Amino acid sequence: MFTVLFPRLVTLLSFAALGTALLLIVRRELAGQVRLFAAQSLTLAILAAVVAAFTSSIELTIVALALLLLKVFIIPYALNRAVKKIGLQPAALPYLGTPATLVVCGGLVVIAFAVMAPVAASNPLPTAEAIPIAFAGVLIGFFVMVNRRRALTQILGFLMLENSIFQFALLATYGVPFLVEMGVFLDVLVAVLIMEVFLYRIKENFDSIEVDRLERLKG
Amino acid sequence: MMLGVLLLIPLIATILIALVRPRAWIELIHALAALGGLAVGLIVAARVWRGDVPAAIGGLLRADGLSALMVVVITLLGAIAALYGIGYIRAEYDDTHPARTRSFFGLFHLFIFTMLLAVTTDNLGIMWVAIEGTTLATAFLVNLHNTSRSLEAAYKYLILSSVGIALAFIGTVLLYYAGASRAGEVAVNWTSLRAAASSLNPQVVRLAFAFILVGYGTKAGLAPMHTWLPDAHSEAPAPISALMSGVLLNVGLYALMRFKVVADIAVGPNFTGPWLIGIGLFSLAVAATFLIAPRNYKRMLAYSSVEHVGVICMGLGFGGYWGVLGALLHVINHALSKSLLFILSGNILLKYQTTDIRRVRGLLQTSPLTAGAFLAGILALIGLPPFGPFMSELLIFRAGLESGPVWVVILGVALLVIVFAGMLGSVNQMLYGAPPEKVEYGDVLRWSLAPLAINFVLLLVLGLALPHAVTEALEQALKVLGVSRA
Repeated sequence: MFTVLFPRLVTLLSFAALGTALLLIVRRELAGQVRLFAAQSLTLAILAAVVAAFTSSIELTIVALALLLLKVFIIPYALNRAVKKIGLQPAALPYLGTPATLVVCGGLVVIAFAVMAPVAASNPLPTAEAIPIAFAGVLIGFFVMVNRRRALTQILGFLMLENSIFQFALLATYGVPFLVEMGVFLDVLVAVLIMEVFLYRIKENFDSIEVDRLERLKG
Repeated sequence: MMLGVLLLIPLIATILIALVRPRAWIELIHALAALGGLAVGLIVAARVWRGDVPAAIGGLLRADGLSALMVVVITLLGAIAALYGIGYIRAEYDDTHPARTRSFFGLFHLFIFTMLLAVTTDNLGIMWVAIEGTTLATAFLVNLHNTSRSLEAAYKYLILSSVGIALAFIGTVLLYYAGASRAGEVAVNWTSLRAAASSLNPQVVRLAFAFILVGYGTKAGLAPMHTWLPDAHSEAPAPISALMSGVLLNVGLYALMRFKVVADIAVGPNFTGPWLIGIGLFSLAVAATFLIAPRNYKRMLAYSSVEHVGVICMGLGFGGYWGVLGALLHVINHALSKSLLFILSGNILLKYQTTDIRRVRGLLQTSPLTAGAFLAGILALIGLPPFGPFMSELLIFRAGLESGPVWVVILGVALLVIVFAGMLGSVNQMLYGAPPEKVEYGDVLRWSLAPLAINFVLLLVLGLALPHAVTEALEQALKVLGVSRA
């Protein structure tokens, strides 16, 4: 029974994760964006747990738990702290309006399916069908980073991109080896903490977290 | 065993520097760790060159001929930059800035550790983690002076490099996936991936290499992903700029080389070449446009790194024995000359308090030693004989003429001539003229420059005659890269 349901469950969860990425694009309030990131991470933790149950992998179970702890609790906590300390700025200031953004995202999803078609087709795993969805998440994370002026939203875009890469690895190979996964988690945690410090310093120096102000270095 | 010690030295140094208080102790630990690291680095390399393949922690750490070459470059130039760094930081920060001096010395060794880990691990995932670690270790170093300019540089560096090499991780996962069906879990190891390379799905490998090229290309500073480089390399303190431009870029190239070997076996030899030549030539062209009339001498050196990384990529792309040999030699030559110049740029900055070329006048009068060395370094860098870079560029373009197309070589050489004229003109402006009145005469940090003699000797040795020991070492690295003298 589970074997039949498994691929469908994986695809469903993958779409849910992609959905949160799309909502991040529409959502303008910073605190709400952080919650969306936490929601995406929770979806992925469940996805990892489902794959762990299907493959009876203890290592993957630990990875799912670590993901839950790190990306649903610790990192959103650090980001919320930053939002509070900086003072909530509601407008997220995208360069493109919502309708245009959604058209671009639709295009990115199509591109993702085209690029990853050979990988999904040649992959024997039951999770293969969802690989292009994860890759679409990578592209949308990129787009969030270039389309938003707020430094914090850029960081969220990076985290969602990172989430999608985790998802991609999970679907393509049932995750990279345990040691590597833990190393990547460590990197992400340190990166976010450093970014948080930079966020404060940018706020101090430029009295704003708009990335547009960062344009002194030329030539 | 020795491999473990090599990695432990900088790691322990970081921890000790975080713990001890007196500045003199911090400086002592710093110097001992740098020199100790060099000694152990040379021992490890010597063992590799005698034919050993040292490994530790169940094969997680492994050093072959290519690793040995990188270890020597990292530890040697690390030691030289470290010795200069003591005087430089004393000149920049007195005892009222204990936090900054501590983070400089602590992060310096963390930076060295991440680079050494990247080149001595067999695990491609851990290599990725280590290379992302280099970005994290240097982010605060770029922003050490905490000005709005350095902050901007550091933020952009952190974001762009992290995103860039996130793509490399997708490439790594794709290759792991391609290899996992053949070699299982160990497919994340380079050695097993290489062993299984001929049976990998070429379509997946092609896609993986595209991600790897863009990803690690960002870290290596290849255009168009180079935009963070001039900012970060020019804002960082001089000893860090020396290592970022001279050594860290090579770590990105090193990662590219490892993946190229696998891709060449899996897809065939004609797949990676055009990509590398194209991106290399493009980098050279982008750098050349900025080097026609540079205004900031630290940014000039940074753009010159984009240029040289491009040349190295072209060498790898032309391939064959001479192309790859030239590329490896150029990695060493560029590291020697660029770290030398960035260290000297620290001296110029301390003296004139500006990075603006138009405001640096009469360098020959105010600091004759720095000026003379800077000129010689620039001559070496732009490819004048009798220095090493001349030889390696000659080898690379000779390989280009053999493998074609000829117009690529002609265009490449033309761009090098533009760079030559632009940089020489700028340095000329700095050397002569009447120095500003407030600038005192006499070289700063004269004795801290002494280790730079090593750079000069090696640049001359590599330009005039390749000693047998060097060719032996290069042969071993070439064997790892799958090329041999036909």
